[in-house]
Amino acid sequence: MAELIYREAVAEAIAQEMRRDESVVFLGEDIAKAGGVFKATVGLWEEFGDLRVRDTPISEQAILGAAMGAAMTGLKPIAEIMFSDFLAVCWDIICNQMAKSRYMTGGQVDMPLVIRTANGGGARFGAQHSQSLENWAMMIPGLKVVAPSTPADVKGLLAAAIRDPDPVIFFEQKSLYATKGEVPDGEHIEEIGKAKVVRDGDDVTLIALAMMVPRALEAAERLQAEAGISASVVDVRSLVPLDTQTILSEVRKTARVVTVEENPRLCGWGAEISSIIAEECFYDLDMPIVRITSPHIPLASADELEDIMIPSVDRIFETVRQEVD
Amino acid sequence: MDVLMPQMGETVAEGTLTAWHKKVGDTVSASDILFEIGTDKVEMEVPAQIDGVLKEILVQAGDTVDVGTKLAVIEGSGEETNDAPAPAAPQPETPKAATPAPAQSPVAPLVDRPKRDRSMKLSPVVRKLLTENNLSHTDIVGTGRDGRIKRGDVLAYLKGPASVPSTPAPAEAPGAISGEGITVVPFSYRRKMTAEHMVRSKATSPHVLQAVEVDFSAVNKARQTIGPEWKRREGYSLTYLPFIAKAVCSAIKDFPRINGHIEKDHLVVFDRVNLAMAIDLNFEGLVAPVIRDADLKAVTEIARATHELARRARADELTPDEFANATYTISNNGSFGTLITAPIINQPQVAILSTDGITKRPIVIEHDGEDVIAIRPVGILAQSFDHRAIDGSYSGAFMRRVKEILEGKNWVESIS
Repeated sequence: MAELIYREAVAEAIAQEMRRDESVVFLGEDIAKAGGVFKATVGLWEEFGDLRVRDTPISEQAILGAAMGAAMTGLKPIAEIMFSDFLAVCWDIICNQMAKSRYMTGGQVDMPLVIRTANGGGARFGAQHSQSLENWAMMIPGLKVVAPSTPADVKGLLAAAIRDPDPVIFFEQKSLYATKGEVPDGEHIEEIGKAKVVRDGDDVTLIALAMMVPRALEAAERLQAEAGISASVVDVRSLVPLDTQTILSEVRKTARVVTVEENPRLCGWGAEISSIIAEECFYDLDMPIVRITSPHIPLASADELEDIMIPSVDRIFETVRQEVD
Repeated sequence: MDVLMPQMGETVAEGTLTAWHKKVGDTVSASDILFEIGTDKVEMEVPAQIDGVLKEILVQAGDTVDVGTKLAVIEGSGEETNDAPAPAAPQPETPKAATPAPAQSPVAPLVDRPKRDRSMKLSPVVRKLLTENNLSHTDIVGTGRDGRIKRGDVLAYLKGPASVPSTPAPAEAPGAISGEGITVVPFSYRRKMTAEHMVRSKATSPHVLQAVEVDFSAVNKARQTIGPEWKRREGYSLTYLPFIAKAVCSAIKDFPRINGHIEKDHLVVFDRVNLAMAIDLNFEGLVAPVIRDADLKAVTEIARATHELARRARADELTPDEFANATYTISNNGSFGTLITAPIINQPQVAILSTDGITKRPIVIEHDGEDVIAIRPVGILAQSFDHRAIDGSYSGAFMRRVKEILEGKNWVESIS
């Protein structure tokens, strides 16, 4: 086990897969010589060269259009969209082309590509560079959606995404880029579509994703210490496919559920999970499902306002303490 | 309307539904007998409260449920069926097809949910657990906010404060016996309850029997003095029993531990004597209703109270409260002329006394310094006591005190 930084795990995963499979290529803005604006791809250009690691013009549509063509003709491209907010300009390519090609060709066309993108708030980037947009991708049939919370999951799930024969949107939380964690040595790969119980508890299940996972864990420790509430924490990790088995089993155990979402409230992924729980686990619930989210307004760039809007450890702690009694 | 297990006296927490008099679909009228219930002490017929149709029976005959449990549903004439029938066992494993969500306000809350009052609402899992275990929410003390019942409260209730001491399993029922020369007498509800109580008592308490022989001359003198007038006035004989009861109450003042309840590892001793009187129901069972504060009552009051309890017991008029909180029991077998009876303790009491036949017998007494044979009314008082609570010396001293009082007291004076 070596300790890696979240951003280093990105480069490690890409390098691991580029070494084992020559058809893996990587393209994006400033990803090659500069090593990425978040320094998540340092060293790849040096190791794999101009042909396989390419800087592109500032055109997200060009990046994804090229990646899609490459995927359809036998390569396994990784495309970086610097900020997930910019996915909006690529929506036709993503929603109408990438997601549907396998289905519309009766399975004749593979689409083995990964869109990596820096997602979420907490870094003072303002409303157009801070959105938590997993739900945009989650609602499109034909896409897989992954959002890791730890360096180990970054490496293992990104490697799995690169090997996956279908388009995967891989959301990296930009405020987590500097966080550290143990990562298994050697080749490391995880299975996409498995949630992970990262803390065992009896009284309530906190269901969290990406940056909300460390916050939920910290809140859970405080709940145990200060309120005697034993909280289980589930890291969803993958929204599509969604591991309902793990989620529902935790819910049945604790009978109480709180989702912790960075995204704005309406149509957040927690709403979908709540709906599934209500359908499948209604008779096991001991309190209404509670969702902790950002409010349904564009994210503020002022430090204080951004901190108020995104669920904090304090807010998670207080909400759970009040609801679970 | 819902039909609930009625409260049969303040002290009764549960009852057994012994028989239904109506079937689902039957038309019922208010005051029709709907069902019968029994507690560990009494049986009772319960009439319907409204006219209507019996829609649903939720508790089957033979089941014991807590007071307040929903037993049945009567759809009253003219009453709307507001209550959807209770759902059959829910099947959470099988998701139903999604039903359209009710129309909601288009404006979603900005932040997390507002505070709601859900103090008295039962959550789905609590409802499920209550249904599965045949419980009522009134059985459970909620520890949640504003007394809300949480899943853990139900689970804790089901786990119980302490497991009930296991009673010995009843002997295997012998193969059905039939044929000529045999009559099968089914046990009545009361018979079954008595059987259970007797087995439990014998299994719980190490019984020790002690008996004293009592010369009832002093008592007899009082009976002969006022007996005829009493009989004429009250309509029944003044028996030995109220005198014995009075003597027991007086002796308890000197030996209070006789008047107690055994609870796990300690004895609870009572100031007042609530005297249970075993009353035979003409060979159809036995009940032991209580004379409250018997130690404060005169012999004549005890006589009247005993007579009234017996009359009401045989008329099946006693209520459960009249059986509650007995502290000592007297069983009177004297009318059959028995010599001695070893009674079984009325749990959780410490002791029980049997009075048996009192007959004229030759006994040796001292008269003017000489032993002479006299003819005296003599009877044996026998007490079974629980050796966990007291020892033979204490019980024996108590019995000697009872004997002293019965033989030595000027009963004529105390009664007139």
